[in-house]
Amino acid sequence: MIEFRDVSKTYTGSSRPVVKDLSFEVLDGEICVLVGPSGCGKTTSMRMVNRLIEPSSGEILIDGEPNTAMSATQLRRRIGYAIQQIGLFPHRTIADNIATVPGLVGWEKARITARVDELLELVGLDPEQYRGRYPAELSGGQQQRVGVARAMAADPPIMLMDEPFGAVDPITRHRLQDEFLRIQQEIKKTIVFVTHDIDEAIKMGDKIAILKEGGILAQYDTPENILAAPTSEFVSSFVGSDRVLKRLSLMRVSEMDLEPANGSDTLPRIDERTNLKDALSEMIGAGAERGLVVSDRSGVRGTISIQQIKNLSHRTEAGRHGV
Amino acid sequence: MSSLALQDLGPKTLDWTWISNNFGDEILPALQGHIFLSLTSVAIALVISLPMGILVSRYRKAYPPVTFITGLLFSIPSLAAFMLLVALPGVGLGPVPVIIALVAYSLLVLIRNVVAGIDSVPEETKDAARGMGLTNRQILFRVELPLALPVIVAGVRIATVTIIGIATIGAYINGGGLGELIFTGISRNFPTRVIVGAVLATLMAVLADVLLLWLERRLRPWARVRRA
Ligand SMILES: Nc1ncnc2c1ncn2[C@@H]1O[C@H](COP(=O)(O)OP(=O)(O)OP(=O)(O)O)[C@@H](O)[C@H]1O
Ligand SMILES: [Mg+2]
Repeated sequence: MIEFRDVSKTYTGSSRPVVKDLSFEVLDGEICVLVGPSGCGKTTSMRMVNRLIEPSSGEILIDGEPNTAMSATQLRRRIGYAIQQIGLFPHRTIADNIATVPGLVGWEKARITARVDELLELVGLDPEQYRGRYPAELSGGQQQRVGVARAMAADPPIMLMDEPFGAVDPITRHRLQDEFLRIQQEIKKTIVFVTHDIDEAIKMGDKIAILKEGGILAQYDTPENILAAPTSEFVSSFVGSDRVLKRLSLMRVSEMDLEPANGSDTLPRIDERTNLKDALSEMIGAGAERGLVVSDRSGVRGTISIQQIKNLSHRTEAGRHGV
Repeated sequence: MSSLALQDLGPKTLDWTWISNNFGDEILPALQGHIFLSLTSVAIALVISLPMGILVSRYRKAYPPVTFITGLLFSIPSLAAFMLLVALPGVGLGPVPVIIALVAYSLLVLIRNVVAGIDSVPEETKDAARGMGLTNRQILFRVELPLALPVIVAGVRIATVTIIGIATIGAYINGGGLGELIFTGISRNFPTRVIVGAVLATLMAVLADVLLLWLERRLRPWARVRRA
């Protein structure tokens, strides 16, 4: 668990803090996304966790211990670190890059070699083909994968990721996000993830910390709750006027109470894994009030209606206004 | 071009018999002396410049004064520098003042290339290294210096070629080397000595240049991109 306790940071030579009285917890096995407009102090906050930046006041606890309890280098070797600019060592092969931290903490050679291949497989790069290459011989997306693999190499319980998928095209970014979420299902790391993209935050976060100018925590909650009930004008405008739709995109058709399907062959067919936003779009597109929910394995599961989705959204909106 | 000029000087300009008769006891020692002067100077200059460059890249404020002083040294006419050094107590004639001057000449280019090499290391590479828990020393030896090495070797190349040229003047103060042949050739009006000295010095410079260029490339295997 990572715990920020009244953390503030004022850079030397500046009078205004860029992070102010920041307090929140990141639970074990969760991805906490720090999101907010450019310059709001996301990177600064993240870099204080592994002491690349020292806070001006307050403290950061890791599993109950202040992160100053051990030397900065010891601490950093136990925390995975991946950044948008990747920062692979250009003069080292992919295998050597990934082996950095295991080498520093003294793993045996055979164990490192096995770990490198395992990680390359995990991030979808054929070890045979890639382990001996230099970073310049990889595409941007492949380099990002290696950067993430390198951060995970010594199996650190905590990872810090600063816009790790920022430097690639949107399609590759979505694929990397999906891959990483799949990996996280297995590895269950405690992750601080920085982005300025609210859609990425909603997709990746178990929790989202929205920061505003001056490094002030505007809201800290699950994506669902933030979309359903923004606590301030700033948050609701930051998440966007389509937040109702964004929220629908967090739920799948299979999570709804479906109505029985009888004699509804003409309805548009919707895969049960589709999210509610896309389902809504499909029904509207087909000019239908209802859709037929199907699954790969068991065929027709039932039907879903636009009204159902409307009710769902309305209920939470009403809840937000205390009705 | 040189062969045309030689013909004007008459048939006896290049005396091959003299060359073969004096190869062992005059030409070879001069060549060896020259190699000794150049190698020693470059080595000493490098031993000074590497730590200086690393220090200056850390304490940036020291960079302007260091470039100023080494630039000043670089701009002293070589003959004047040799004469001044000879006049210093405890130095006198011989190879020592020559080596001191050659070292002084190399400092500017070497220190500048050490700093440029270290500066060329991408900020994000150093940040990633620090973030993964490399110590400052490990960052210097495992990241900064290996990445700076090709630029440093490029500096060594320029310094070496320059030194091989200037070292010939060192014979004027009894420093030895190929300049010995050239100066004796001039004073005794015997062109063969001059030509042999000049040709060997040029060959040496070209060879050093090619060798160091090859090394520079060798040290950058990661730049030979081979896309699948
Ligand atoms: N080393 C530094 N010295 C002084 N000021 C800094 C330093 N690093 C960052 N800042 C300032 O602190 C503020 C917060 O920077 P930070 O990098 O944490 O923002 P960010 O939220 O990550 O922004 P972005 O989304 O653009 O990456 C900015 O105003 C920035 O100019
Ligand atoms: Mg940032």
